[in-house]
Amino acid sequence: MSEPVSRVAPTVGATGPAPRAASGRMLVSAVLLLAAGVAVPWLVGSQLMLTLMTQAVIYAILATAIGFLIRQNGLTSFGHAAFFGLAVYLLALNGKFDLVPAEVAVLAAIALPAALAFAAGLVIVRLPPLAFSMITLAVAQSLHELMLRWRELANGDDGMPVRLPSTLFGFGVELFQSPSTMFVVCWCALVLVVLALAALSRSHFGVLTVAIRENEERARYIGYQTLVPRAVVFAISGAIGGLAGVLFALYNAFATPGALHWSLSGEALIMAVIGGAKAVWGPPLGAMVFFVVKDAVGDLTEHWPAIIGATLIVVTVMLPHGLSGLVERIVRRLKDNRP
Amino acid sequence: MIQIVNGLVYGSFLYVLAVGLVLIFGLRRVTNFAHGGFFMVGAYVSYAAAVHLGFWTGMVVSVAALALFGVLLDRFVFRPLSKEEPIVTLLVTFGLLFVLEDLVRTIWGKDFISVAAPDALAGSVMLFGSQFPVYRLFVIGVAVIVALGLALWLRATRVGLYVRASSVDPVTTGMQGVDTDRLSAFVVAIGTGLAGLSGTIAGPLMALSPSMGGYIIIDCFIVVVTGGLTSFTGAFVAALVIGQFHNLGLVYLPEVASVIPLLIMVLVLGLRPQGLAGTGK
Repeated sequence: MSEPVSRVAPTVGATGPAPRAASGRMLVSAVLLLAAGVAVPWLVGSQLMLTLMTQAVIYAILATAIGFLIRQNGLTSFGHAAFFGLAVYLLALNGKFDLVPAEVAVLAAIALPAALAFAAGLVIVRLPPLAFSMITLAVAQSLHELMLRWRELANGDDGMPVRLPSTLFGFGVELFQSPSTMFVVCWCALVLVVLALAALSRSHFGVLTVAIRENEERARYIGYQTLVPRAVVFAISGAIGGLAGVLFALYNAFATPGALHWSLSGEALIMAVIGGAKAVWGPPLGAMVFFVVKDAVGDLTEHWPAIIGATLIVVTVMLPHGLSGLVERIVRRLKDNRP
Repeated sequence: MIQIVNGLVYGSFLYVLAVGLVLIFGLRRVTNFAHGGFFMVGAYVSYAAAVHLGFWTGMVVSVAALALFGVLLDRFVFRPLSKEEPIVTLLVTFGLLFVLEDLVRTIWGKDFISVAAPDALAGSVMLFGSQFPVYRLFVIGVAVIVALGLALWLRATRVGLYVRASSVDPVTTGMQGVDTDRLSAFVVAIGTGLAGLSGTIAGPLMALSPSMGGYIIIDCFIVVVTGGLTSFTGAFVAALVIGQFHNLGLVYLPEVASVIPLLIMVLVLGLRPQGLAGTGK
């Protein structure tokens, strides 16, 4: 992947740093971030706080998946809970019916959402962006109905436990269920996902999909096949959504139709919008802010839906590029003012 | 045979709901993501009004309230955002959906509420050898009236001509001296008023709950996209087909009924990416 990076990087960021220095810096910041994540459980004593932070990181991964789709395909998914919930239910159903070893199920819970996203993507990424958004919402809601109605399979609204063996990939299952260790696992997953997506955006494939997003017809005339790359972006986004679902299922060990509900898709989308999808790190930032605000409003959480709805409206209108756009603008201004 | 009539009832109902979205899309090139929320609010408003004033007045109140809501939506959301990307409007109306659901939950609670059909339509008739509720036939009648009314209005009146022209090319229509902003307020009001109407007729058909909007929007969006977004005929055909299969699914495969319309949509879009009657734009 290093060869295309140096070839195409100048077109991505003519004003940015040299490509080699950029990837070097990216690696250093990733190592620092990973180290910081490992240190967090020692610094934060409160288990409750750690639980909240673990959940925030899991949702941050889902928000990152949505942001990636917006950035590379220009498409907004209003139904990413479909991939998240699908992974959760795959693990739960595998525990119930004992189909395959749990390790295989974990991998399948990432691969299957990706495969479904690819297959569906071949049809729906061709739609106008608006219709795409409508359909993603419809797909997720119909899966929600499926799990709600098919009581024999998934026990409806009451949900079902995710039964796990005592060890998973050689680790004791407590590792995934105690907040102090699970936070580190989720945090590392988030950092690696963000890093991989950042590298992907700089690759030939990343630049090609952005070119298709800007003008599909022109990309086709140059001689590129445009449908498959777009479906692949959707598949990657689906896989990341599945990964978030896997982490959620391991940590909470319980599956409810709520994992497929439109309000979950909406919350993750709102995180991506608050953070701004233009930068890879925008959606995770949005997720962190989301959880800090949710914690801060405290007693008002009863009206949480109205609060996030209103926040979405305000942020969309006032801050179209989200917080990451704001930060980048401030940084740029500071740089310009320097002699 | 009776199941086919039931499918027709559900399809008719879907048409009334979906055609409101088609109208709005035609003029503003955006989708109201809160349409399901408006539908739900319409159902609750007519329920609240009907408790005191009876079913028919409740219907009028609901349609009028939702139409007024539509004028406000057009004035304060669609018009100011019309120069932005469509996605901005989508996100804003999506935020509105959260607010509406919270509002309804706060006022009426989250429990299911059932609504009785009005006395005049409470009975049942013999149809194909079994008892069939009159109210369900009434739903078909409403859809026929809406479809004929819209067709007449769009084909035979000057305003209808403006609406059709504006759906093809809003800018040129504006240059010809048509006040598209006023037109749009009117059309959006009709679109949301239809959400109020479908909410009202949904009352005796299904139970009221704050989540009813999220449930119905599945089939509604599928109908609009399958029909081709801008076409009234497309929406009509798609609503009847999707309604039919959804109902047959409920009868024969109740567990997986919710994904059947989805499969039909994928099939149609696989063959015709622009939808049943879409122009591909």
